[in-house]
Amino acid sequence: MTPYFYKEPVLTLDNVSMSFNGELILRDINAQVLDVVRPNMKQGQVVGFYGRSGIGKSVLCRIMAGLMAPTKGAVQVGVAQEPVKPGAVGFVQQRYPLFNHRTLVDNLLVAAERKYNPAEARQQVEAYLERFCLTPHRKKYPAHLSGGQRQRAAIAQQLLCSDHLILLDEPFSGLDIAMIDEVKKIIVEVTTMDELNTVIIVSHDIVTTTALADRLWLLGYERDAAGNLLPGATINQHHQYNLAEMGLAWHPNVEAEPEFAQFVENIKEEIRASA
Amino acid sequence: MKELFSPNANPQRLVFMSMVAAQAFVLLLLWIFYPLQLFPSLGDVFRSLGSLIAEQGLIQELWASMTTALQSIAIATVLALLISYLTALPFFRPIAYAATKMRYLTLTGLTFFMALMVSSGHEVKLSVLIFGATVYLVTGMTSVILTTTQEEMDHARTLGMSEWRAFYEVVVLGKLDEMLEVVRQNFAIIWTMITLVETLYQSEGGIGLLLYKQNRYLHLDGVVAIQLVILATGALQDYVFVLLRRVFFPYSWLGAAK
Repeated sequence: MTPYFYKEPVLTLDNVSMSFNGELILRDINAQVLDVVRPNMKQGQVVGFYGRSGIGKSVLCRIMAGLMAPTKGAVQVGVAQEPVKPGAVGFVQQRYPLFNHRTLVDNLLVAAERKYNPAEARQQVEAYLERFCLTPHRKKYPAHLSGGQRQRAAIAQQLLCSDHLILLDEPFSGLDIAMIDEVKKIIVEVTTMDELNTVIIVSHDIVTTTALADRLWLLGYERDAAGNLLPGATINQHHQYNLAEMGLAWHPNVEAEPEFAQFVENIKEEIRASA
Repeated sequence: MKELFSPNANPQRLVFMSMVAAQAFVLLLLWIFYPLQLFPSLGDVFRSLGSLIAEQGLIQELWASMTTALQSIAIATVLALLISYLTALPFFRPIAYAATKMRYLTLTGLTFFMALMVSSGHEVKLSVLIFGATVYLVTGMTSVILTTTQEEMDHARTLGMSEWRAFYEVVVLGKLDEMLEVVRQNFAIIWTMITLVETLYQSEGGIGLLLYKQNRYLHLDGVVAIQLVILATGALQDYVFVLLRRVFFPYSWLGAAK
């Protein structure tokens, strides 16, 4: 097993609940993403939040990104554990939005200029274009980019102005196998860029999310003593998985391992049970 | 040929242009051989056009109307943009809402109040046109602003932009091409209003007054000739706007269905 230890928290969900018009969507969610350190490894980490379609994952994303205040509870980010504000967490939305009126290079520049002076911003943008294989497309408008290029551009844009935390909402949704492999490569690439980088995947793709993550939280419904479903999705204490501890993290091609298949099967059973 | 009648088909440019030419030719033939003869003949219209240009200063009158129209649309655009962009602040939303509803006011009723407020006939004419165009422009522009999605605003916010900066990036810069389209569409309204306003304030002439006189003396050939001139001016104007959009906002057409 790869040796590792945990340091300070980088994101904390503290008793987060969210209601819309009196309807409880999320209930008392507690989760803490800790900075994981692996000796002799300069690599960040990937953590995953799994939830079925329509359970409130996008709402949770918006709360974690500071775009929406929860009805109850709080979200703290960074080493200083400050309340989250928009811009503190890089957030790549499902459809990878970019500014359609700007070319790709301008899209990245407008993000980089939030953090760097103009000369540094240009340098950073060039480096990201190169690293994400986007240099040949620098003068294109977003409408001319393919889905994969657009996703890479959206991730690069967020990385250019955020502080190590990047949140991906359904990054594998609607993609074919080849594209999923490409996105996985990008995610790993992001973690290798800086050992402090933490990628948070919020997805309904249990296999891919589990394969990439070293921590996993399962969002689901609970039942009361009488067996009735309680309103609002939550993460109960049995649905928090430390995949590193289970020996299922940081393996290349972990999906092929029988332990991984067994774990995924168990998770699926849990999901079916809470439906 | 078959694809000209297929839904959502994309005929070749040559085929499409040939079809347009054929349709124009058929229209021309209909005009020449129209059996009821209610419509003035093509020859009469051309003769009348020549006489209007040579004897009644059609070009000068067109220029006078054109400068008034351009002046009005320029001022109205600035005003409408200001009112529309201010809807970012809840305090100004009722003003924009009221402005959109003022489309229903009739211009004839307004000219009296405008005459009381400003001194010269030219100013009355201009202020009526500006008012008329502004209320239509505000309607179109606020509709464009309302197409802004949560996703677009969230995207800007996640980049650490302040609310004003996000509004500037997403709404002001991001929708400038659509605002130009709103101006293009509503410029036509100026032409319908200008003919009315010029008849109310006749001192400065204009193509509207010329049209009124031709109508009054039942010079149908003159009326058609002037209408055709206005139509051609409008088409040219539309073309210029499309050209401006292509030059300044090249991304504008990229997502359109083909």
